[in-house]
Amino acid sequence: MRNTITTHINGRDITLSDVPPDRMALDWMRAEGLTSVKEGCGEGDCGACTIALGIPAGDHLEWRAVASCLLFLPMLDGRAVLSAEGLASPAGTPHPVQQAMAERSGTQCGFCSPGITMSLFALSRRTERDEESVLDALAGNLCRCTGYRPILEAAGTLPLSVPTESETALAGRLAGLSATPLFYSYGGRSYYAPTDLAEALAYRAAHPEAWVIAGGTDMGLAITKRDQHPDSVLSLARVGELTRLTRHAGGLTIGAAVPYTDILAAVRDRNPALARLLRRVGATQIRNQGTFGGNLGTASPIGDSLPALIALGATIDLVAPDGVRSVAAETFVTGYRQTRLAPDELVGAVHLPDPPPGARFYAYKIAKRQDQDISTLSASFLISVENGMVTGFTAAFGGAADRPIRARSLEKALMGRPWTLDSIREAGAALADDISPRSDVRGSARYRTELASGLLARLWHETRTAGGIPATLDMV
Amino acid sequence: MMETTVVGQPHLHDSARGHVNGAALFIDDLPEPAGLLHAHLITSPWPHARLTGLDLGDCLSGPEVVAAITAADIPGSNDIGPILGNEPLLAHDRLCYVGHPVAAVAATSAAAARAAARLARIAAEPLAPVFDLVTALERGDHVCPPMVMRRGDVDRALAAAPFRLAGETRVGGQDHFYLETQIALALPTEDGGVFLHSGTQHPSEVQHLVARLLGLPQSAVTVEVRRLGGAFGGKESQATLVAGIAALLCRKTGRPVKLRLGRDDDMIITGKRHGFLLRWDAGFDADGRLQGVDMLLAADSGWSADLTPGVVSRALSHADNAYYYPAVRLTGIGCKTNTASNTAFRGFGAPQGMIAAEAMMDDIARHLGKDPLTLRRVNLYRPGADRTPYHQKVRHFRIPDMLDRIGKAAGLAERRTAINAFNAKSPVIRKGLAVMPVKFGVSFNNPMMNQAGALVLVYADGSVLANHGGIEMGQGLHTKITQVVAEVFQIPLSRVRVSATRTDKVPNTSPTAASSGADLNGMAAARAAQTIRDRMAAAAAGHFGVPVAAVRFDQGTVIAGNHRISFAELAELCHQTRVPLSATGFYKTPSIHFDRATMTGRPFYYFAHGVAAAEVAIDTLTGEWKCLRVDVLHDVGRSLNPALDRGQIEGAFLQGLGWLTMEELVHGPDGALLTHAPSTYKIPTARDLPRDFRVVLLEDADNPEATIYRSKAVGEPPLMLAISVWLALRDAIASLAPPGTRPSLGAPATPERILEAVRTAEAAARDRSPGTAENDR
Repeated sequence: MRNTITTHINGRDITLSDVPPDRMALDWMRAEGLTSVKEGCGEGDCGACTIALGIPAGDHLEWRAVASCLLFLPMLDGRAVLSAEGLASPAGTPHPVQQAMAERSGTQCGFCSPGITMSLFALSRRTERDEESVLDALAGNLCRCTGYRPILEAAGTLPLSVPTESETALAGRLAGLSATPLFYSYGGRSYYAPTDLAEALAYRAAHPEAWVIAGGTDMGLAITKRDQHPDSVLSLARVGELTRLTRHAGGLTIGAAVPYTDILAAVRDRNPALARLLRRVGATQIRNQGTFGGNLGTASPIGDSLPALIALGATIDLVAPDGVRSVAAETFVTGYRQTRLAPDELVGAVHLPDPPPGARFYAYKIAKRQDQDISTLSASFLISVENGMVTGFTAAFGGAADRPIRARSLEKALMGRPWTLDSIREAGAALADDISPRSDVRGSARYRTELASGLLARLWHETRTAGGIPATLDMV
Repeated sequence: MMETTVVGQPHLHDSARGHVNGAALFIDDLPEPAGLLHAHLITSPWPHARLTGLDLGDCLSGPEVVAAITAADIPGSNDIGPILGNEPLLAHDRLCYVGHPVAAVAATSAAAARAAARLARIAAEPLAPVFDLVTALERGDHVCPPMVMRRGDVDRALAAAPFRLAGETRVGGQDHFYLETQIALALPTEDGGVFLHSGTQHPSEVQHLVARLLGLPQSAVTVEVRRLGGAFGGKESQATLVAGIAALLCRKTGRPVKLRLGRDDDMIITGKRHGFLLRWDAGFDADGRLQGVDMLLAADSGWSADLTPGVVSRALSHADNAYYYPAVRLTGIGCKTNTASNTAFRGFGAPQGMIAAEAMMDDIARHLGKDPLTLRRVNLYRPGADRTPYHQKVRHFRIPDMLDRIGKAAGLAERRTAINAFNAKSPVIRKGLAVMPVKFGVSFNNPMMNQAGALVLVYADGSVLANHGGIEMGQGLHTKITQVVAEVFQIPLSRVRVSATRTDKVPNTSPTAASSGADLNGMAAARAAQTIRDRMAAAAAGHFGVPVAAVRFDQGTVIAGNHRISFAELAELCHQTRVPLSATGFYKTPSIHFDRATMTGRPFYYFAHGVAAAEVAIDTLTGEWKCLRVDVLHDVGRSLNPALDRGQIEGAFLQGLGWLTMEELVHGPDGALLTHAPSTYKIPTARDLPRDFRVVLLEDADNPEATIYRSKAVGEPPLMLAISVWLALRDAIASLAPPGTRPSLGAPATPERILEAVRTAEAAARDRSPGTAENDR
């Protein structure tokens, strides 16, 4: 067990033992003079505080852009960190990303620029860089001055950044640290990051008051926005059993602490519709930290991923010291921010089936903005049509009630019916029985009701697309 | 036209490299001085109430808490009203909105100050609030006297017109969402004054109002601004609040004090772009040619006047946009509501005024079954029909030619045909296309403000330091000033620096606002440099024994007859021979005047022009939309720096697009702002950039007026080009309705509002009864 935070920031080894564990990396870095890391919102939505986190991955570091405003300081442990101050070569030559940003007028006021530079640095380490992945890399960085065109141009010219020899050695050193549990405490507050599930469960049972986090992107808000401070934190981010993603015939088993970014990579080919949905969960910085486990644990009534899990018939493993039980995704959330998790249980894994042969999966998310926005309404459908008749239909909605719901009345109304617009219109009344949306800043109840039937109509149009007439804006 | 070597080149922003490596420091990045205290505001939880008690005892109980202030602690005058006055820094009687500052605390850490602020006990008697602009309008709750701009007999013209149509549009407000929130750092000086690092566009106003708060002479307060992390008008008057609190606590404790608003506080407490209610009544002939226009432009001012009189005045003076109104009456009203006090925002009322004109053009075209572009062309200013509603003659009007050019470049006629064909067979997706002009008056509406000063220093080694009154907030003003000074001296750009803007270098400056930064400060800096250059030329002439007329400055060298001397050597020579190498420059815009009583005159030195064509697609099942293509042709005169100017155009366009389509200010039933952070208030991201975005600067476009190197202002005008996107959305919706029907779409055109307008249009198509939808929402 280690009890100090060991990290490597902008080329320097750093060991920390005298900072509270609920200090956010942003605040600590700024106090240390790394003022390129800016606070723009304190909630992971603007990207001004973006830093690159180097995660050991064999002979190199996997660099990921993260929002340092929501990063508990101990999350730097066993990681390398880069901020804009550390990008230039030791001789002072600007990094190609910095050159591209400066020379293509990618900066105006400059406040968002260090964060954007770090997002682009992470992008520059990746080989696949089509237009969509560039937009994905920048989706979590707001710029109010440039209109983004020069930044996108800069992104389009970046040469591939390759690992250096020293990076290989560093990756090895950090990997050794990450494999050992961390118990860090200072100022009466503690942070425990075990590597073993049994240890995590034992701690959970002994410390029911501890905050349980994986990426911390939701619980971090309690600190930055609500001034709440935990006495103890249990981090699941390093627990071996929870960070595994296994592919098998018929589906995936996704550990509760696997970041969205890795889930996205795994489903990209198997379930493109799900991948399109997951690309709209938060933005890159949030997906690099956030997990299914966290999204399920907070039991949001919208829950970006849960409607898709329900429609696909996913099951969720709940683990306790005395064993594992498996529950259907549909039954996991029991009410507004209520779940079936017992006090001594943790979300273990999600079993995510591929769409069965003959069935097609569609997932829709409607929000005021395409990127980094919470759904006004989301809908997921799994549908089989044979000879013009609906032979299989599962529908789930988020943002349509106090929790993500399965639309059983709608399913019943459409099963065995001809797959026509008339059937959909007739099923409208059944859909109204399933949903009970509320009005809030993202949309009125009336709009949400209209969206639910609108998305059902979209489903029909999309399954029937012919003659080059687009059924969705994506096809325009 | 004179040749230039430095001016007109696409030089990089002078801080570009520092922006990407962390070297460019913002106020919160400065090393913290010893003994620094952090301040936090205590604000009203009521939208409207009479303050009956304020107990800060608990706030002061914490060991880290050092001081607190209320209105009673203000030694000078508790007033930071920028135009009309009587706007207290801290409330002492009435609490007028949720977030209204009543007190502040200072502690040794920001966290302690924030925690202490929560312990304040405020007692108040609630009063009836007014949140809605229409209610305030009907009740006659105004923050300033109504303004009327008129020419001709509009009532008679309307009565006599063959056709008449009226309409109403609601336009929402907009948060600035500068990435750097409001901040000030106040330091005590040894002689009893205060030195302020302030995040302000208007350092002189901060200086003057802080001096008034403290009861000190203005000379005892110095304000420095190196750079702002965005401002867009939000740091013109609003910065005084933050600077004032820091200065008062600094004065009270004798210690340095920093106040930085977190994002939520910034959005809740400070003002935004004014939402407007726009009503118009137009008379016209069968071609759609206007005969009379009567408009009401009512602004949601929030709780106080702030800059509202100026905003309303500019809204009125842009409610014509590019169109001639033969008889016209424009009435502007600033309505008082119990919300944050709205303020300057890029365009300063002009965008809202222009929306009234453009909605009217669109609606008349649809009413008559005419092509909207044709109808716009019929109404453009033209010889003999060239008087604005404020009686200024429109000269050097470039819009007709620019519309011709964009029509060809963007293939508008062919695309219109293609879109109509697409819409005829597309069941879910509909496309829309719109073209619009922008004519924007350049100069502050208040003639007094059109002045600027500069101080240029040439050192003995020939390096140059330029100071001026303008603020660098991302637009590249310092880069342009550097180019101007380098051009005058004919030396490389690298030999000129611009320092932080300071009130002890150039006094009594105007805000960097109204797109005027380069126009005013560029000219002042050029004049200062010319004064020194003339002295240096005389020195060279004397030294080499040639006439002054034989001396010229050329690429770092000074040529005097047959003699050559480097600029640096000549600077050294001047120093040796006791020739002064510093000079001030002053500029005031010529030819402008405005009579506020009659709302007539020549408020604008010249007009900037732009045209835009936008194509969008909407999803009729969800109200989602997508911008497919935008063409922009914009008139920046002879560009001082085409890279910076293009950046202003693109950035302004996307900011305007955000305002009109996604940025929604939602208030709760108690008037509290609910969308006070980026999680709920959505500004555009990179994916919202039109995927095909073609921006062209008008060529051979020297400003006919004698502006700095014949350039034109560029900060605000292009924002209004984004109205084309809103018009294109209306066009797509109109394709669903029967001919003659107007789409009912206000702004912001969120997916929810688009879907509602789609449903209304579809219902009209079912009813086949044209002429519905009187009101836009």
